[in-house]
Amino acid sequence: MWRVVPGQSLVFREWDGEAVLYNDLSGNTHLLDGGAVDVLLALRAQPLDAATLAARLADRFDADTDADALPAAIADMLTDLARLDLVESLPC
Amino acid sequence: MLTVADLPRRELAARLAGPGLVLRTGPFANRIRSDIPQLRDGIALLYADYPVDAPGGFADFHLSLRRAGGLRRFFRPQVCFSHEGVSPFKPLPLAQAFPMFEWVMNWCVTHRAHSWLIIHAAVLERHGRAIILPAPPGSGKSTLCAALVTRGWRLLSDEMTLVRLDDGAVLPLPRPVSLKNESIGIIRAYAPDAVLSPPVENTNKGTIAHLKAPSASIARVGDVAQPAFIVFPRYEAGAPVTLTPMGRARAFMGVAENAFNYQVLGMRGFTALGQLIDATAAFEFRYSKLDDAVQLFERMARDGV
Repeated sequence: MWRVVPGQSLVFREWDGEAVLYNDLSGNTHLLDGGAVDVLLALRAQPLDAATLAARLADRFDADTDADALPAAIADMLTDLARLDLVESLPC
Repeated sequence: MLTVADLPRRELAARLAGPGLVLRTGPFANRIRSDIPQLRDGIALLYADYPVDAPGGFADFHLSLRRAGGLRRFFRPQVCFSHEGVSPFKPLPLAQAFPMFEWVMNWCVTHRAHSWLIIHAAVLERHGRAIILPAPPGSGKSTLCAALVTRGWRLLSDEMTLVRLDDGAVLPLPRPVSLKNESIGIIRAYAPDAVLSPPVENTNKGTIAHLKAPSASIARVGDVAQPAFIVFPRYEAGAPVTLTPMGRARAFMGVAENAFNYQVLGMRGFTALGQLIDATAAFEFRYSKLDDAVQLFERMARDGV
């Protein structure tokens, strides 16, 4: 299970499928693709695992993304977002 | 209003050597003290049109540029800068007093003025539309800026774009345009009537000369400008003019990387920069011929696209 790191208010601006997001904890600004923002917003509502995120967000990602590959792609994205201290995994 | 040109040369020297010359640049009052003739001459030439306050008036910045004392006075004389008693720079050869003064004036703004988002960018206006040119050194930003200025554009700044945090308007801070190395000859050829300071050689940026800001730009120092375009310029020898639209999120990051105080401002900087990106169209721009660049910018400012 993953959640948004407490203290992150997820302030972002999105234009044409790309977004910039203000990191409250580091003061840095990150360039993200729109899919990453969708993942963050879904996790803000409630902690989820990669498979559930994939099922919920399937229609938001490119139609040509292989549905079977989506959970793995989202798992990679979560690892990247964790590196930026935006999300963290919860002990099961 | 009294300007530097209104002061007899003797009075200018007396203020600089005594209580300080209180010089107005954009929203700032600078108290300048100096005993260096090269600096006095540079101020008389390039700041002739700038307003001067009474010697005892309020000042945002207190600058002192003095000849180094002791043996240095006679042997390879140097200039030392201090701001409110602190000396953040190493002394430089005396001949570099005027370029040092310009760097110091920039330093005061970038280190002290956090009421604005400050972008390392030239900004010019024509037909009511401001174009912001953020760029690292070597991109040809100042050359392009100088060329536009000599073709009637209003100079807001060649080095620091001050964006008001609440509404995104750009505050004018017109100052002399810094030209380096080959750019000096290029602008002399491009605008033979332009007023340039005598070139100073062997600075840590090479040979430096400054182009006087147009009097009309200095007179309009109270009028903010509305940004319409953000253009990231790159000079490339022999390249045809190309203007490539940039995604807004990428333009945001590009401006943030070129801002002096984006990090310092935190969320306020993020919000202000987002508004600036909303209000403008952003492009990457490559050029080699100044005439082509000036023509294209003229069309952009006139048509808004």
